[in-house]
Amino acid sequence: MSTKLTLLMLVLFVFASPIFAQAQTTPANNLHWVAVTAGFSMAIASGLCGLAQARAVAAAAEGMARNPSASAAIRFALLLGLVLIESLVLYTLVSMLLKVV
Amino acid sequence: MLGLFNVHAANAARPWANFVTMQIVVALILVVLFAVLRSRLSPDRPGKAQHIFELIYNFLRGTSEEQIGHHGSRYVAFFGTIFLFILFANLLGIIPGFESPTMFPYVPAGCALAAFAYYNVMGVKEHGVGKYLAHFVGPMPLLAPLMIPIELISHMARPLSLTIRLFANMYAGEQVTLVFLGLVPLVVPVAFMGLHVFVSILQAYIFTLLTMIYVGAAVAHEH
Repeated sequence: MSTKLTLLMLVLFVFASPIFAQAQTTPANNLHWVAVTAGFSMAIASGLCGLAQARAVAAAAEGMARNPSASAAIRFALLLGLVLIESLVLYTLVSMLLKVV
Repeated sequence: MLGLFNVHAANAARPWANFVTMQIVVALILVVLFAVLRSRLSPDRPGKAQHIFELIYNFLRGTSEEQIGHHGSRYVAFFGTIFLFILFANLLGIIPGFESPTMFPYVPAGCALAAFAYYNVMGVKEHGVGKYLAHFVGPMPLLAPLMIPIELISHMARPLSLTIRLFANMYAGEQVTLVFLGLVPLVVPVAFMGLHVFVSILQAYIFTLLTMIYVGAAVAHEH
């Protein structure tokens, strides 16, 4: 029991690492490309996510309508799919937030 | 005590970060909850708390047996811990004055690294180190130079995606509520707080479910 615990702690400590910070610079002509790109990337990611989740929900609703006894399994697959699609948008959000301070 | 090693807090008036104290609050809540539950367990006259926790336990055990197969109930202890910790940690932020520890990137990273370490250790325990690493090669030894980088990257992406999913959902939920609180202070933020509660429960469930899927993939036996 204690060797398992020791192994677990060792693996966790190996992954500890410092977080690096970068200095921000102001562009000379006040055109902050970072902000523009951030806006466009979030819009594109959210728009495509909306389309993908709409397809997932539509397929799930049709499946449940055709076969109500399989509702539980279809609902499970739907929820898993929606969360995974949404997490892609969240990656975009996080990388935007890292750059836009 | 850490002063002996010349480690000093960045701000002497507030030496412990918010998320550290909130995590301890969550742990204390869980300990007290289970202590109270334990004293009220009864086989012939179950109370409300026992019903609720039997529901949760059956749900977790059912899902883990569905994902992992017939030995899934071996791992329910870890899944239950992760699920309840993340659930209470997410929901703690709804109470005014408290902050979700999962709102800071460090806490979801810790949970994701724990899940990563757990499924690898369980895979090694089930198969042995050599055979577990041999799974990275893929179905045919000829494909090894292609499969190994793909498998390595996908395995590295798992704790990263778990972390970012949980952190971004909690952080974005709180930010959206704050933004609308600044715009319309009265009734509108309630809708976003309600959404945040739903998302909190869903994200705790998804984190646990994905951990179950990873453990299932790690301990799977080819037939």
